[in-house]
Amino acid sequence: MIKNYLKIAIRNLKRNKVFSAINVIGLSIGIATCLIIMLFVKDELSYDRFNEKADKIVRVVFKASINGGKIAEATVMPPTAQVLLQDFPEVKEATRIQTSGTPTIEYREKSFREGALGFADANFFEVFSIPMLQGNAKTALSQPNSMVITEEFAHKYFGDENPIGKVLNIKSWKTLYKVTGVIEKMPSNSHFHFDMLGSLVSNPDAKSSSWMSSGYFTYLVLQDGYDYKKLEAKLPQTVEKYMGPQIKQAMGVSISQFQKKGNKLGLFLQPLTDIHLKSDMTGELEANGDIRYVYIFGAIAIFMLIIACINFTNLSTAEASKRAREVGVRKVLGSVKYELIRQFLLESIVLTSIALVLAIALVQIALPTFNELSGKHLSIDIKEHYLLLLSLIPFGLLVGILAGSYPAFFLSSFKPVEVLKGKFSTGRGSISLRSGLVVFQFFISVSLIVGTIVVYQQLSYIQHKKLGYEKDQLLVLKGTWALGKNEDVLRKELLKDPRVANVTTSGYKPAGDTDSNNSMAYAENDDTQMMRTLEYHIDDQYIPTMGMQMVSGRNFSKEFPTDSTGIIINESAAKAFGWGVNAVGHNITRLKNNDGLKIRYHVIGVVKNFHFKSLHESITPLLMVMESSPGLIVKVKTKDVSGLLNNIKKQWAAFNVDQPFSYAFMDEDFNNMYKVEQKTGTILGIFAALTIFVACLGLFGLATFTAEQRTKEIGIRKVLGADIPQIIGLLSKDFLKLILIACVMAFPLSYWTMSKWLQDFAYRIDISWLVFIVAGVSSAIIASLTISYQAIKAALANPVKTLRTE
Amino acid sequence: MLKITGLEKIYRTEDIETMALNRLSMEVKEGEFVAIMGPSGCGKSTLLNIIGLLDDPDAGSFQFNSIEVAHFNERKRADLRKRNIGFVFQSFNLIDELTVYENVELPLLYLGIPATERKQRVEEVLEKVQIMHRKNHFPQQLSGGQQQRCAVARAVVNKPKLILADEPTGNLDSSNGNEVMQLLTELNDGGTTVVMVTHSEHDARYAHRIIRLLDGQVVMENVLS
Ligand SMILES: Nc1ncnc2c1ncn2[C@@H]1O[C@H](COP(=O)(O)OP(=O)(O)O)[C@@H](O)[C@H]1O
Ligand SMILES: [Mg+2]
Repeated sequence: MIKNYLKIAIRNLKRNKVFSAINVIGLSIGIATCLIIMLFVKDELSYDRFNEKADKIVRVVFKASINGGKIAEATVMPPTAQVLLQDFPEVKEATRIQTSGTPTIEYREKSFREGALGFADANFFEVFSIPMLQGNAKTALSQPNSMVITEEFAHKYFGDENPIGKVLNIKSWKTLYKVTGVIEKMPSNSHFHFDMLGSLVSNPDAKSSSWMSSGYFTYLVLQDGYDYKKLEAKLPQTVEKYMGPQIKQAMGVSISQFQKKGNKLGLFLQPLTDIHLKSDMTGELEANGDIRYVYIFGAIAIFMLIIACINFTNLSTAEASKRAREVGVRKVLGSVKYELIRQFLLESIVLTSIALVLAIALVQIALPTFNELSGKHLSIDIKEHYLLLLSLIPFGLLVGILAGSYPAFFLSSFKPVEVLKGKFSTGRGSISLRSGLVVFQFFISVSLIVGTIVVYQQLSYIQHKKLGYEKDQLLVLKGTWALGKNEDVLRKELLKDPRVANVTTSGYKPAGDTDSNNSMAYAENDDTQMMRTLEYHIDDQYIPTMGMQMVSGRNFSKEFPTDSTGIIINESAAKAFGWGVNAVGHNITRLKNNDGLKIRYHVIGVVKNFHFKSLHESITPLLMVMESSPGLIVKVKTKDVSGLLNNIKKQWAAFNVDQPFSYAFMDEDFNNMYKVEQKTGTILGIFAALTIFVACLGLFGLATFTAEQRTKEIGIRKVLGADIPQIIGLLSKDFLKLILIACVMAFPLSYWTMSKWLQDFAYRIDISWLVFIVAGVSSAIIASLTISYQAIKAALANPVKTLRTE
Repeated sequence: MLKITGLEKIYRTEDIETMALNRLSMEVKEGEFVAIMGPSGCGKSTLLNIIGLLDDPDAGSFQFNSIEVAHFNERKRADLRKRNIGFVFQSFNLIDELTVYENVELPLLYLGIPATERKQRVEEVLEKVQIMHRKNHFPQQLSGGQQQRCAVARAVVNKPKLILADEPTGNLDSSNGNEVMQLLTELNDGGTTVVMVTHSEHDARYAHRIIRLLDGQVVMENVLS
């Protein structure tokens, strides 16, 4: 019997090719989108969970609020790990990591500058479960100048030779490291990825007992089942006990005096598994994810699936009502209701199964693109995801039954006499149900459109915002410290090139990683008003090269020998010190280092505020002093950038240094700060397009259904004198009304959500009402186009034929 | 008012051609009440649809008020139709989602008549067909006779010069049927031309003249006194 049903089912699908195709495609897009998002969400939620002790590991971070400036740093002071391990029995293990960028590392004639280098305490592998393939995990990092490298890099440097015992040369530090272990590549869902880990004991600073410096990512393994909040509650005493005396020595105030002025500072704990999604601090190891995006995308996945199922139901019902007569005849001939239900359900399950297979194929096709957009490495792997894939079978069955049952029951309950008289009508109830579904679909679509537009507007605002410096045509030469004295030779050579407008010697750039050179400073002699400021080391050409403007006073100049104790501050600093526009001539004392050495400067100028961090953050006080800093930034005045680059490359080669020539453009560095937002914008846009597409498929089905149901009415209206535009209007009006309702619901929600999103930017757009108009009108237009096919078809139909049912 | 000469209409389906009208000629004068009779399938409805400008003939001439309309395009036909012609069908063809009042109002809406005048005219005809008290009911809530009276009211609300009725009493019992025939006669007395297709010799007797069709041709005409 089943075989017979199956035969009828497949015959039916074949007969209605277009309809079946629309239905299957809609459903498979829905399922595919949902699957991809599920993979994405699963991956986001899986960060750092591969560590066997994941639930017991916490990271120690530093948060402070000093004179109104908020600080949240992912790294803490060198002695933190040791002290916490000593003082608290509930801390079972403590380990630290320090990052070192990607220096050039050499083995014999092979030299690479692409491995991420870090340093870690000897017990690193006790805390993190990163399998060691060769060497002893317990001792590999216990001796100075030892290094553990990944299999991939071992192969790069040593080919098939045994890496253990080989010596790698970090050229710029002139230090040698012996390979003591080979590890697996760190999992993609780890919040850090090092290709090489040196032993932290190699670095003398690691033994420092200073509580005034920072830079160590510090992880604790807590006792089984111990609530980290309890330990966190005890940390203020620790801070007071150890940091207190050093604060007093450096700043001359006790920690309680310091706190009385409204300042706060302390150590806090983060569960390891929260780092990727919930932590957003200065100096994170890598750009983290965001739990809110997980929620948003998760919601989109669920909505997408619901929309796809709704469509399936709608389209199936629409198609099924064409078969009302068939059902009537079957019933007259003695078919029993449940047999009909079975037949329709089977058809719907066949359709969903096809859609499922298609969906998996779609996922395979779309994943590489999605990975590129999201920066992930997702894949559907039978071995890894067999559970997920297996669960698709009951899932498909469920969708099939859910989507198929409405049309099945709807159709099988037709009264044969009425159907055969051509007189059946679906009750008001089912019409309002289906209208509700359309409203829901467009509610989601319109919300997504609004979201996408706002994200893109903010991105474009960032692109075009006046930053206080000119980010275009700026070429940043990297690693020029390796040139030593020749750096200045190169600078002079560059100035001779007619394609170069200006050159400055400074490594500080307002986009990227040089935003952490903080120093404490105070105005005049009032050392009770200590302020945390960012400090730039520049030369006299920096301000003109960067296209920055002076608000008052003057730039550094070689003609003033006293400029070595001159200082330029930004408008925020002038305001924070309480001078405003009259800052020039005042004095600033800055703590040179942690030992309490102080230098006094006189303000020679105030530079117009420029954005030295991303637009997420407001502009904080900044000090600029004339101090040497390696790095060359070139203002270019040519279209022939590649010619210029070739020239620089040649000169670089002539200096014969080990460091390979590398460069970046300032605007690229600038754009990199907003990668997450750009990704979000693209992904949101794609999802919006997909949702609208699937929603329109549904609308198409519904329009077909309605047009069919109303053929007689349309015929009558035409006989009574309605013209074609009037009929089209009649059919479209109802749908447009639904879309209007969807808009009214979507606008407040999307306004609220996007306002929240924008709050993350210190500098942001206002959401204009135009956004809503555009979203509403565009979805109405898309919907109208979808409906118009059926509406026009119905309007053109000859009433003589449609009324001939008598 | 209507002058038809050599009218032909051929229906082509995949394998057969049906000659629904075969060089049919006839004439209807202003103010006449004509009944068309004939066996099922002889082309009565086809003829009525062409007269009603719902369909176009394949050959022949059709003059409406001395204007040749046989090859009018859809738009021109629709325009002529909504100003001059009212339809009454066997199965009423009321719109189920609209009330009696709204059904009757429809032709006026499509003529773009202002609201106050619409109200006045709709109420006037509802009064005339005696279903004023039912104006806010939906068609399903009415008896067959009431539905057909409503359909007649809708057909005449725009004061057409010509009323076409295709078996208007076919779905009604004799007393309801008589009421409808009475109505059509009254309208005709008021000067409206009526062309009616019927199977009933009884109903045909309300007319001035009976045209009998067979296989798409006029085979006989009887003038009644
Ligand atoms: N749309 C059509 N397609 C094919 N044949 C048709 C169509 N409409 C009518 N016919 C045929 O034309 C002939 C006349 O039909 P009709 O005018 O409806 O007859 P009547 O109203 O006199 O019963 C019949 O043989 C009918 O089968
Ligand atoms: Mg007929």
